[in-house]
Amino acid sequence: MVSPVLILAIGLGTAFALGLLSQARKSFLFLVTLAALALMAAISLGWVVALATGAAMTAEIHTAGVAPPFAINLRVGLAEAALLATISLAGLFSALSMREPLLRLGRGAMAVLLVLVMAISGLVMTRDLFNLFVFIELIAIATAGVVLLSQDQRAICAGFKYLVVSQIIAILMLIGIIFTYHATGSLNIDDIVATPVAFHGAALAIFLLLIALVVELKPFPANGWALDIYTSAHPGFSALFSAATGSAALFAVDKVATYAGDAWLPLLTGIGLLSFVGSNIVALRQENDRRLLGYSSVGQLGLVLAVIGQRDVLGDAYLYIAGGLILSHAVAKAGLFWMSAIVRGRTLTDWAAIRARAPMVLAFATFIAMLVGLPPFPGFYAKWDLAQALVAAGRLPILSLILLGVLIESAYLFRWFGYAIKREAVEKGLLANTVDCGITLAAVAGGWALGWIWGVAHGEFNVLATLPVLAVVAFLLLEPLPAKVKNVLAIAALLGWFAMVVGGYDPMRLIFAAVMIPGGAVILIASFTETGRRIGFYPSAMAMYAGLALLLEATTFFEFFAAWEIMTLGSYFLILRGRMSEPHALSYMLFSLGGAFALLAGFAIASGGVQPFPLDQLGTVAADLAPYVFVLLAVGFMTKTAAMGLHIWLPGAHAEAETDVSPMVSGILLKAGLFGLFLMLMQLGRQSLWGVDLTYVLVWIGAISAFLGAVLAIFQEDAKRLLAYSSISQMGYALFGIALMNHLGWLMAMMFVINHYVYKSMLFLAVGGVYKRTHTKLMYKMGGLITLMPFTFVSVLVGIIAMSGVPPLSGFGGRWIFYNAIMDAGLRLPLILIFMAGPIGFLYLFRLIHTIFLGQLKDPHRKLKEAPAWLVAPQMIFVAFLIGFAVLPGMALQKVDGYIGSIFGDQPLVWSGRAIASEFGYWNPVAIMVVIIVVFVSVFLILLAKNHDAQKVKQFNIVFSAERPYRPETTHFAWNFFAPYRKAMGFLETPVVSTFWGGVTDGINGVGDFTRRFYNGNGQSYAIHVVLFVVAVYLIAMGGVA
Amino acid sequence: MAQIALATGFVLILAGLYGALTNRDILRMIVAFTIADTGVNIVLVAVGYLPGRTAPILDAAVPVAEAGQRIIDPVPQALVLTAIVIGLGITALMLAYAYRLFRLRHSLDISTFTELKW
Amino acid sequence: MIRHVVVALLVALLGIAFWTLTAGYLPDAELNRTAAYYAAHAQDEVGAPNIVTGIIVTWRGLDTLGEVTVLFLTSAVIALVLTQSKTPAGATGAGFLPSGELLTTGTRMIVPLIVLLGAYVIMNGHLTPGGGFQGGAILASGALLTLLAEPTRRFGHSVIARVESASGLTYVLVGLAGMMIAGGFLDNGILPLGRFGAMLSAGAIPLISVLIGLKVGAEFSSILESLHETEDA
Repeated sequence: MVSPVLILAIGLGTAFALGLLSQARKSFLFLVTLAALALMAAISLGWVVALATGAAMTAEIHTAGVAPPFAINLRVGLAEAALLATISLAGLFSALSMREPLLRLGRGAMAVLLVLVMAISGLVMTRDLFNLFVFIELIAIATAGVVLLSQDQRAICAGFKYLVVSQIIAILMLIGIIFTYHATGSLNIDDIVATPVAFHGAALAIFLLLIALVVELKPFPANGWALDIYTSAHPGFSALFSAATGSAALFAVDKVATYAGDAWLPLLTGIGLLSFVGSNIVALRQENDRRLLGYSSVGQLGLVLAVIGQRDVLGDAYLYIAGGLILSHAVAKAGLFWMSAIVRGRTLTDWAAIRARAPMVLAFATFIAMLVGLPPFPGFYAKWDLAQALVAAGRLPILSLILLGVLIESAYLFRWFGYAIKREAVEKGLLANTVDCGITLAAVAGGWALGWIWGVAHGEFNVLATLPVLAVVAFLLLEPLPAKVKNVLAIAALLGWFAMVVGGYDPMRLIFAAVMIPGGAVILIASFTETGRRIGFYPSAMAMYAGLALLLEATTFFEFFAAWEIMTLGSYFLILRGRMSEPHALSYMLFSLGGAFALLAGFAIASGGVQPFPLDQLGTVAADLAPYVFVLLAVGFMTKTAAMGLHIWLPGAHAEAETDVSPMVSGILLKAGLFGLFLMLMQLGRQSLWGVDLTYVLVWIGAISAFLGAVLAIFQEDAKRLLAYSSISQMGYALFGIALMNHLGWLMAMMFVINHYVYKSMLFLAVGGVYKRTHTKLMYKMGGLITLMPFTFVSVLVGIIAMSGVPPLSGFGGRWIFYNAIMDAGLRLPLILIFMAGPIGFLYLFRLIHTIFLGQLKDPHRKLKEAPAWLVAPQMIFVAFLIGFAVLPGMALQKVDGYIGSIFGDQPLVWSGRAIASEFGYWNPVAIMVVIIVVFVSVFLILLAKNHDAQKVKQFNIVFSAERPYRPETTHFAWNFFAPYRKAMGFLETPVVSTFWGGVTDGINGVGDFTRRFYNGNGQSYAIHVVLFVVAVYLIAMGGVA
Repeated sequence: MAQIALATGFVLILAGLYGALTNRDILRMIVAFTIADTGVNIVLVAVGYLPGRTAPILDAAVPVAEAGQRIIDPVPQALVLTAIVIGLGITALMLAYAYRLFRLRHSLDISTFTELKW
Repeated sequence: MIRHVVVALLVALLGIAFWTLTAGYLPDAELNRTAAYYAAHAQDEVGAPNIVTGIIVTWRGLDTLGEVTVLFLTSAVIALVLTQSKTPAGATGAGFLPSGELLTTGTRMIVPLIVLLGAYVIMNGHLTPGGGFQGGAILASGALLTLLAEPTRRFGHSVIARVESASGLTYVLVGLAGMMIAGGFLDNGILPLGRFGAMLSAGAIPLISVLIGLKVGAEFSSILESLHETEDA
């Protein structure tokens, strides 16, 4: 191994040497610069590998041949080496990104860049306080120089503002350093730690030093100067400024915090949290991409600062957590800045241009997932461990603030991603450039590699090493193949996985697995209708299925949570594919993340920081904590099942999704929430908080969801929205059943898992087929399609019979068990609600079949054909299954019944042959089927016999009083179909919940908009902000520490 | 003695900061910062001062053996040299920037350079 | 006006913080351990009677390398700042009044003396007050005087740049040599310490002083030159 001091020597030596080379041969000069940076990167990567594998010990470098504290010394341990590698790689790629101005301005500019990278590296390595100052000043001056590479004239103003603030930082820092020296007689950080502090002004000295370093991190709100740099500098430099300078400054804070002592940590935490939450709120109102990235950088640095402030409770995990967050931030932010060079426009919507290049979309998605901390990236592992440690230390408020910040950050990041995928792309919005694309992809590769490393280092569970996630990666690589080939592979993958795992599951998991995995394969049959390559669909879909598969496999909290997040991410990308789904996908993502954070907190409280914590030990959680765990987990799971109050994301997300995606997210994805609820209730059982039985609350939520979901469904004009609201209602039933906490309730919920999957998938496919032919989802624009689309009609007919719970199909079985369950539970009031939901459900189902298939055929629809065969095929499979399941429910349910019996210790149902008996009566599906068939056949025969009495009416045998109505659709019978009901129950339609959530988002946005007026653009005001910030923190700190 | 030097340094720092934060003219801001820098440098050397001792140079007046008892602390003197040079570098840089800003807008009023905000 | 009041208040609050530092300040009675170490080992470790120079060049040599780099950066950045707004060629200096006889003649007489003094200060940096920085600054003042006396005069940019680069590169190489043949980066022990108090003693310190002096002189000159060229005719 070569000495790391060479990193400094190479950077500096090359910078000096450039002056000796001919100014004219600029390409050669640039190559020399790149070579130097590459060499620096190679040395630091070599150290990373050596230190990580144990081949080398932490390097202590003494300068001047004298041991510290008498001469300056440098240190390179694993953390330093990793940062050095990040810094020099960022420098190398940023140099490539800035090739144009560097070549234009020549060796001076290249030398400044080299010195900048050298100085940032030095800041990481040095163990001497004053040397720290020298490197910081070098960075400041070099920054002021590199900012000028921008073509943007405004960069000059930004550079000056930056210099003004640098002066203030320098003044504070020097005073801090000299008084620290006076107090301790040393400038060496490690030496200061070892010496007891004698002089009482030392606290103030430490404060000045710390606050100077903190200001260097551009904390909110004293950071206008830094934001201006982000906005106006060359993106290559902004990448370096955010990724390298920011990380190194954080490391400097960490070094000083080491000797400052734990008393200062709360202050750092406070500043960090303020910065994280505050700048994310302000970022919500940003439309300029680079300024947004600036705000996000400030936020991320604040987050890590808060983590530094929590180092006293993080223990051994400190480096893992802080490192994961810093590296995620560095790679993702640098990648985004480099990427911004290929987008011509500067508003967020201009990023729609990147859609033309699939790898860039992947890059964008990767970076956003890294910033938000989603698997498989390091931030995810870090977030999990952080939550565990914080909860174990009883610092729940800090965790909540962090999660709030992450949520706000994800709001604007995913909104931005939505713009990129869905907004109109301007022509020539993309600056085609191989180099910029190349370095962006290098960052992507780096991000995935880090994800792998963090997964390995986590020890418990490496997301990227699981078969389902590897399959997702494989599908990413298979993107160039045609869609049909990929579809075959996807179906094969799902079935193969199911065959592999099916043996090991208990009956309950088996039912969920059957619905999720082969169930998914059946829906994928419909995807054969798609032609072309269908870029983006398969990785997203497979990510969702991977999440579901892992969810069933999960044995610990962490595995469960990781699976949950993968599933969420995959389904978000799937939903976003819909034509009009941009806002809905966003609200889906935000609700899902919010729910996931509730899970995270719930799991952390339950495990108390013990890791790995087995999922089946959830029941052992202490009695005083159990109700809170219950509430958090229930909220998390109910977000997924879209219980009333947390439901507003569902209608849009399900209705606007693509034809084959709607059944996936409705028929399959919702079950994940039910699965979670099952697991939770199985372990925690009944819990009371403040004297309220929480399962009783769930019963109510279930009943209200079932009722209101149905009410809202009947007023929809859009067929897919109707089905979506119906899902809310159906999930309400299932929730109700689970929350009854008795054998039959659970059995009924299991029945719903199967039934709802089948008929909702079928109906969504059917309506999707109709939509494909008619190009509308509005029911009043359809009618009379029965003769044109007979198969679709059949599947809708069977679907609604099954769903409405009338005999003979399996829905009736569900209802039958259900009524038995209610009788068991003895809850009267919610029972009335849920009973009422039944007939209301019938109303919307009737409307569905009546409006679409019966009545008058519309003129534009006369030549319609049946839906594509690939869409019909899975529907027919479902039809066959429903009829079979109606006759033989025992095949699936008897085992589950026995399994549930083993949980509750009772056996209320008696299975004899094909009949099932309970204490309230018995159900013989075969007999019912026979009766129904007999009744229907006889009625049908009678009608057939009387057919000649009927009179044929021509279609236009009606008159509108010779007037053409102003809005013709209002005269259609299907328009406002249930007007009388609307009069009676319309008040239930008031969007109370939407108004509430709308108010929340408007409020936060308003705060952001108000706060950003604070950044008035005046460099002097920014300087005053900095001083104000310092004084304010001083007053607070002196209150707290002294 | 040391307190007087310290107080002088701090007064200069505060005066410089006040000037830099209230004067809108960029050149005046720069001058104010140099005053503050000077104050910092005075504070630095003041901290190294020990009453009744001499400069840290070993010559006929200060034999090597007695150095520990005769000289003042040399470290702040070394630091202040670096600090002076850095301050000078930044001042020069700010002046160059001021020149560019002036060429840009023909004004040296910092409140006119506010295109970047929010 | 509000701004003035707010700033005054802030500065006053900051003043309170500084006041506590001043009021609580007690000068050390004895050298602290770092300073005591330097006092005790100036002779045997660095061999420089001027302890400050010993600290600057050797013990805290990395700071000094950084310091030299600060000036290098400043001159490079100033050149960058100003390249984009140079006055058009030909117009430069046309509007200057000729400098007076006194200045011109004085310059001719004094500049060689200034250079001599600079060289002296540089070479004796390890023995008496002074050193590379001080000497370099003195050298640059000679350049300043020349520019004042002859506003139209141009130094050879490339010569300055070469001196600057070569001395900087040599400085780094000397530092690396310390790592290879002596105790570490920037160790002055690559050359014999010699007789304590002699001109050619203290190992590499005189050499480094010369390099620093050349570099600082060149950098200051280059900064002055760049600023000078901006003058509007």
